[in-house]
Amino acid sequence: MNWFYFASPSTFYRLAGWLAPWFFALAAVLAAIGLYSGFVVATPDAQQGEVYRVIFVHVPAAWMSMFLYFVMAAYSGASLTFNTRLGAMMARALAPTGAMFTFVALWTGAFWGRPTWGTYWAWDARMTSELVLLFLYFGFIALANAFEDPRRGDRACALLALIGLVNLPIIYFSVNWWNTLHQGSSVKLTGTSMHVAMLTGMLLMAFAFWSYSIAAALARVRSIILERERRTRWVRAL
Amino acid sequence: MSSHEFYLWMSYGATALALAVELGMLAARRARARRLIEEERDLEAQD
Repeated sequence: MNWFYFASPSTFYRLAGWLAPWFFALAAVLAAIGLYSGFVVATPDAQQGEVYRVIFVHVPAAWMSMFLYFVMAAYSGASLTFNTRLGAMMARALAPTGAMFTFVALWTGAFWGRPTWGTYWAWDARMTSELVLLFLYFGFIALANAFEDPRRGDRACALLALIGLVNLPIIYFSVNWWNTLHQGSSVKLTGTSMHVAMLTGMLLMAFAFWSYSIAAALARVRSIILERERRTRWVRAL
Repeated sequence: MSSHEFYLWMSYGATALALAVELGMLAARRARARRLIEEERDLEAQD
């Protein structure tokens, strides 16, 4: 298969238009099953009671905030290296969704922290580095809109995204490197300390957010393609 | 409303609101892109 065929904005525009509704639908189905699993199948936690159910949005949102930044930086790196237009457009398309999930992770974390730790916010390493991630997303979005020439904006954004990549291991390992209010990872490649019903609900929600992110990025990149390619013959012919 | 319900509603409500806002922004951006194309077509027709 010739993957460069899909690097053409006109080809990718049509592919994204075909894929996005399917991913939106998949996200809705997975979220419905995940919420049922999290609120009906999973029992209350022995220590935290009902309030632990914030986990079904908090952890998947936190995972997506980091994962989307990584993918955004990868697209940015590819656009810098290979000078591809579509890579830069995809990076721009991912940023608002990544910022949204970072905000959700911080917000839900605050409303989980208050009943369990006694505070909405503490300047602990995990929360602070996640807040830095939100500012990196905001910086990326602001920079993307600051340039008259979008290609110059793409290069500036790509550099920012790649520099900001250093924050991801800080977020992930912060609970090991410093004393924080956060507990260590409950889910590892080697196993989990969570009950299977709780884990199932959380993973289903994670896949729902993952599917939603793909759909939202594809829908947004279609608009970006239209905006940038509006003077081309194929766009005018739409 | 018990105390845990408040924290759950604030968490899930904000998540739903954030998703709704993003979907609204996606629709608005799509409409803006369509408008820009129409403007280009108008300019071309004037030429």
